[in-house]
Amino acid sequence: MAMMKLDMSALETNFAAPAIDDCDGTYFSADAADVPSMVFPTCADFDGFQAATKDMVKNKKGTTTLAFIFDKGVIVAADSRASMGGYISSQTVRKIIEINPYMLGTMAGGAADCQFWHRNLGNKCRLHELSNKRRISIAGASKLLANILYSYRGMGLSIGTMIAGWDEKGPGLYYVDSEGARLVGNRFSVGSGSLYAYGILDEGYRFNMSIEEAGELARQAIYGATFRDAASGGCVSVYHVGPDGWKKLSGDDVGELHYHYYPVQKTPVEQEMTDAPSTSA
Amino acid sequence: MSIFEYNGSAVVAMVGKNCFAIASDRRLGVQLQTIATDFQRVFKVHDKLYVGLSGLATDAQTLYQRLVFRHKLYQLREERDMKPETFASLVSALLYEKRFGPYFCQPIIAGLGDNNEPFICTMDCIGAKELAKDFVVSGTASESLYGACESMYKPNMEPEELFETVSQALMASVDRDCLSGWGGYVLIVTPTEVQERVVKGRMD
Repeated sequence: MAMMKLDMSALETNFAAPAIDDCDGTYFSADAADVPSMVFPTCADFDGFQAATKDMVKNKKGTTTLAFIFDKGVIVAADSRASMGGYISSQTVRKIIEINPYMLGTMAGGAADCQFWHRNLGNKCRLHELSNKRRISIAGASKLLANILYSYRGMGLSIGTMIAGWDEKGPGLYYVDSEGARLVGNRFSVGSGSLYAYGILDEGYRFNMSIEEAGELARQAIYGATFRDAASGGCVSVYHVGPDGWKKLSGDDVGELHYHYYPVQKTPVEQEMTDAPSTSA
Repeated sequence: MSIFEYNGSAVVAMVGKNCFAIASDRRLGVQLQTIATDFQRVFKVHDKLYVGLSGLATDAQTLYQRLVFRHKLYQLREERDMKPETFASLVSALLYEKRFGPYFCQPIIAGLGDNNEPFICTMDCIGAKELAKDFVVSGTASESLYGACESMYKPNMEPEELFETVSQALMASVDRDCLSGWGGYVLIVTPTEVQERVVKGRMD
């Protein structure tokens, strides 16, 4: 860290993978040589090592997250289970990451990957605000993340995230993943339980809804996914992003939500054992 | 995912005072997808002998049908019910017959033997018998079940207390396993009666 000179390290692009053209040793861009990048292991079989690491970490995108745009903004919802193979490592994971007061990111895939890169994205968005004197757009933020993830393509990062927020153009929703995809859309669901959530979400979705109705639709969709998908569960968190930023609408335990939607019916008693009436002597 | 984790299961049996409890979860899944929430894993062989089969669901059902067949033959020949110890040996032999193409099940056998003495044992998929005096567990949630049972078990529990203990141990353990749960099914067997209960659990 520089002590006497002005400290410009915060404006540097951190952790972008260096784009090196192997053929003649020249770099893709002029300043790529100065970019501090993550350290790669030196070993004979780099691809094999990456494959083994990928297997060891056991990222299986066991989760359900969803987000959709409607007339009053964006609803973002997620479950809270973290699983390692068959073992539930936590039922209280926060999968909706608050990047800044008007932008949310969802977590699916490797928890460490998502947490780190979302925080990194939050840093970049803040720096953008400071150097440009205006907030970054959702399109811009998702592009920043997508470009970084693309440079790490094939290295075993596992991230399936949605960037949702409200900028000058209104509500914005992008899907970004570790394969390098970046898609704009109105409705997305990501994770092993996403298909179950789509079933409920697509059926109940209308563009014109009140915030409560939209929140309830999201809650039911995540609940349905936690019921059918073994790798989703815990609590449903529902957030709403409006023109003034995001607000958490609810956080409900799925175990209790089930009996709220399907209360236990008292079965009629068919046969009841009672003591035999005592005979008089 | 291994073949034992294909359907997901959790079975536990515990000994009390002149009684035993045998319990299982109720989920039937195909890897991560849940297909049914009322799947039966604990089966009656005769009034004082129950078998719980964890592991691959199709093998559990087939093995149960074979065991019931063998027990009915025994009843016809011997004109009495099988003792739990004998039944355990039968199961062990049946499983070892398939040593090089096994049934992917881990049975738990629980019964009341001579003088209504509770008997429990478990086996691996090729018939290695393991007798226990306190509790036996099997299934995808078995590691969690070991921990829960070890801490909650006390010897000589009455049927009511045994029910509470088994239910709590089962529910706590399946809540740490993705592949089992979605309710519980508990049977308490005493010399005079059998109580079966469905336990409300987390449905995620």
